[in-house]
Amino acid sequence: MGNVILARMGEVTLKGLNRGNFETQLKHNLKWRLRGFGKLDIYQSQSRIWIEPKEEDNPNFADGEAAQDIMKAVTQVFGIVSVSFAVKFEGDFEVIRKEAVEYTRVLLQEHPEYKTFKVEARRGDKSFPMDSREISAEAGGDIIEAFPQLSAKMKDPDFILNIEVRDFNYVYSGKIMAHRGLPVGTAGKGMLLLSGGIDSPVAGYMMASRGMPLECVYFHSHPYTSDQAKDKVIELARIVSGFSGTLKLHIVNFTEIQLDMVRNSPQDMITITMRRVMLQIAERLAQQNNCKCLITGESLGQVASQTLEAINVTNEVVKMPILRPLIGLDKQDTCDISRRIGAFETSILPYEDCCTIFVAKHPKTHPTKDDVINAEKNINIPNMIELGLKDVETIVI
Amino acid sequence: MIYYDNSATTRPCDEVRDLVTEQLASDLFGNPGSLHKLGVAADKEYKRVTASVASILGAKPDEIFFTSCGSESANTAIRGFVSRNKRSGSKIISTRTEHKATLEVLSLLEKEGYEVVYISVGRDGKPDLDQIRENIADCSLMCFTHVNNETGAILPLEDIVSIRNTLNRKCAIYLDCVQSLGKLAIDLGKMGVEMASFSGHKIHGIKGVGVLYVKNNTRIDPLILGGGQQKGMRSGTESLLLASSFEAALSAAVKAREEAYKNIREINSYLRDELAKRGNIILSPDDALPFVLNCSFRGFQSETMLHCLEIYDIFVSTVSACSSKAKKVSYVLLEYGIDRMIASNAVRLSFSRENTMEEAEEFIKTVDEIYAKYLVG
Repeated sequence: MGNVILARMGEVTLKGLNRGNFETQLKHNLKWRLRGFGKLDIYQSQSRIWIEPKEEDNPNFADGEAAQDIMKAVTQVFGIVSVSFAVKFEGDFEVIRKEAVEYTRVLLQEHPEYKTFKVEARRGDKSFPMDSREISAEAGGDIIEAFPQLSAKMKDPDFILNIEVRDFNYVYSGKIMAHRGLPVGTAGKGMLLLSGGIDSPVAGYMMASRGMPLECVYFHSHPYTSDQAKDKVIELARIVSGFSGTLKLHIVNFTEIQLDMVRNSPQDMITITMRRVMLQIAERLAQQNNCKCLITGESLGQVASQTLEAINVTNEVVKMPILRPLIGLDKQDTCDISRRIGAFETSILPYEDCCTIFVAKHPKTHPTKDDVINAEKNINIPNMIELGLKDVETIVI
Repeated sequence: MIYYDNSATTRPCDEVRDLVTEQLASDLFGNPGSLHKLGVAADKEYKRVTASVASILGAKPDEIFFTSCGSESANTAIRGFVSRNKRSGSKIISTRTEHKATLEVLSLLEKEGYEVVYISVGRDGKPDLDQIRENIADCSLMCFTHVNNETGAILPLEDIVSIRNTLNRKCAIYLDCVQSLGKLAIDLGKMGVEMASFSGHKIHGIKGVGVLYVKNNTRIDPLILGGGQQKGMRSGTESLLLASSFEAALSAAVKAREEAYKNIREINSYLRDELAKRGNIILSPDDALPFVLNCSFRGFQSETMLHCLEIYDIFVSTVSACSSKAKKVSYVLLEYGIDRMIASNAVRLSFSRENTMEEAEEFIKTVDEIYAKYLVG
């Protein structure tokens, strides 16, 4: 007998012949994400994954309260839909009904206010002599006998007691929802343009939720942006990596490039020119690191550089697809996701680039091709790209 | 490294370091409240240190209390005074250029029903004496800063004390001496103030110790209650180590004071000239304490200049933090009537006796380099 974590798979189970690949990747990701929680057995049966400690005294499994951290880590692994903390034991139905009553006793100590309940049984082991309806009815009867204050209620009970009969038996109650999606690693890799703001970490999270491993690129302009701003981006990358798995963060020294730009190209086009150069550097880094796309946090119309015209003139400088998962999202929705993934508080730390001198007061919101040609006539873009690629610090997170 | 952020904190001096190291290894660890001989030895030394600090500051030993920092001293003085002297009225005089440790307490007192009259200050940082005259009649307490931490402006203390002595002798004066200690001559017995605060780490001591001066016959309530240490003014086991470190820092500072003042005055005047020559605006008043030099750098936001200097291992400070959203500008400079654009480029250089003329020359050379390399627009 011991405590285990039950994780349910979602979209993965709808896959056809390649379902096995998705499942293998998911188990691999779980193993990586849970590497700090002691030696674990991770095994699968049908649409469920069971996680149990190899050593009996693993403190992360002591009780539901102690398991909060590991459960949260499991919810962050894309491909999992929900997670429960269960008791696992061997034995026939006599043992099961005793365990069901015992489990309820502990639950009622924590929640004396519970008055109604329902038992939901599942039978993976079809040779078991009772069907799930009979198991539910019998165990439910035992519970009412033991705790007369409880009554059965099929709709909206205070708690549901789940019993699963498989190679082993499991009892649990309640579940926490996970982040769903597909296991990271089942899609190709993407290069995320990460700034210190709210949007780009969310964009990374969203693409990772579709199975995409990430690398990140950040453009640093010390002394115009402070080292705290850089630390903040590293922290954001760390938060995203909680979902995406390990990632590389490439920090491009952008100071010289930006100075050249500010001195030799028109002020009202500076953001567009900057983004065009950033995208080209990002594409080269992506190619070098086997990434198949770029990812940005752009949302249509949010700022001057995210109008359709601006997106057109920035988009055209690269061949790789640029994925923009936030393009149709309202800022409020992005903030909600940012809060849900625990990035918001970091994103709003006030270390954004202090280089207001680099941002035009009245930037061009509808740049044309001619504007771009004019903006770039006195600067040497290929040189800038080479300069950027020469001075990159890469951190593995 | 050039360290020009001495108003924020200073490097502990050798005297302090030696004393702390030695005392940590000694038997002087007893609780001064203990009855055995370890405690008695600690108590004896604590009293000696207190008397020594008092004597250097021109006070009596029973007028000196050790606290954890300048802010605690300020809080104890102001809150303790109004709490104990409710009958002497609910009007307080101060300025909006005080340190936050004073302003936040005053703002709390306003919420509790006290009337705080904020005297306006001029471009030179000095409060309008006429406004003080007009308001002092029914006032129970005045809170001022001896030397402003952002600009170095020196308070016309003698004038203020003389106004008080003429118009309302009952009005007490609290003086924040955190920035003036070790730089201006301090003789509490003669200054005419009832309460004053000091901090150890601004005079090459260590963080965690401050001093509160309360003149005999001035009654204030304690902020921290407990075992009744320090005559009930500040409960909590006395730290002989911290008190001794303060004494060591203070002795060293006072010994070096006159020469340091002369030296820093020269450095300050050199930097003023050189910076002004380059089109920068000196925001510190002409007659400010030379240990603080506030300068608005042409074409650089405060924070950008700070980070530029940082590249060259030069450390300064700025109270203006710029983010793309909220631009915070020093409330002190705005109160002086300085234009917001100029204030948002303000950088504070603050010196100590350790700074040299060679550093100042190096600083100017570096500034030139920064302009050549990083100025845009």
